[in-house]
Amino acid sequence: MAREGDRGASGGAEDDPPIFNAENLQSNIKSIHYSRTFLSIIGGVIAGIWGFTGLTGFIFYFLVMAAASFGLAAKAKFSICTYFDSWNRIFLDGIFGGLMSFVLFWTYPLKTTFW
Amino acid sequence: MRIGFMVGILGGILLAHAGYATIQYRGMLKIVEEEFSRPPMNVVVELLLGLAFCIWAALAAPAKFRSIHPDSEENRIVSLPANLDFMIFNHRGKVFPCNAEYKLKK
Repeated sequence: MAREGDRGASGGAEDDPPIFNAENLQSNIKSIHYSRTFLSIIGGVIAGIWGFTGLTGFIFYFLVMAAASFGLAAKAKFSICTYFDSWNRIFLDGIFGGLMSFVLFWTYPLKTTFW
Repeated sequence: MRIGFMVGILGGILLAHAGYATIQYRGMLKIVEEEFSRPPMNVVVELLLGLAFCIWAALAAPAKFRSIHPDSEENRIVSLPANLDFMIFNHRGKVFPCNAEYKLKK
């Protein structure tokens, strides 16, 4: 019986790959992306105002991302399998994409407040 | 979600105020010709508070997570489509046991 939104491959009787609702998965991934992008920008602004330079700034960024990962895992009630297809979605996706936004918003307040 | 936006805006206002205060502090240090490396303690507290508000807003404002399992309670397909012209009810499914407990979700 076809269900709305099912896109996973249903193979043979043994070793069926898991079927999941792709629409909801995409919505969840978009939600994570928004959260991480916003926090990258905010982290950059804070790092600039605080006056972090060099490696300290990057360490601060990874700390903010770690806090965001923990918060996202908590939002998913720590049962990642219910909302995502792998743990990497919560803990790894979007971290290096947000790094560029962080650096962009880091340099402007730093220049304005300190140099 | 609205509370999330409000908290996010509040966090942004706190950060803007902290930035303004840091610029003022830098101006004051320039007058007394002292070196500076970081903003004063109250600005740091304000920055951390703004960060906390923004983290909360970043988690609360975007859409809630929805389950990806097709057979979970919130993914039940119980509403009839608006156009019933192509729906057939006289099919082999009528031999399945009927679950009379399912109700139409509003």
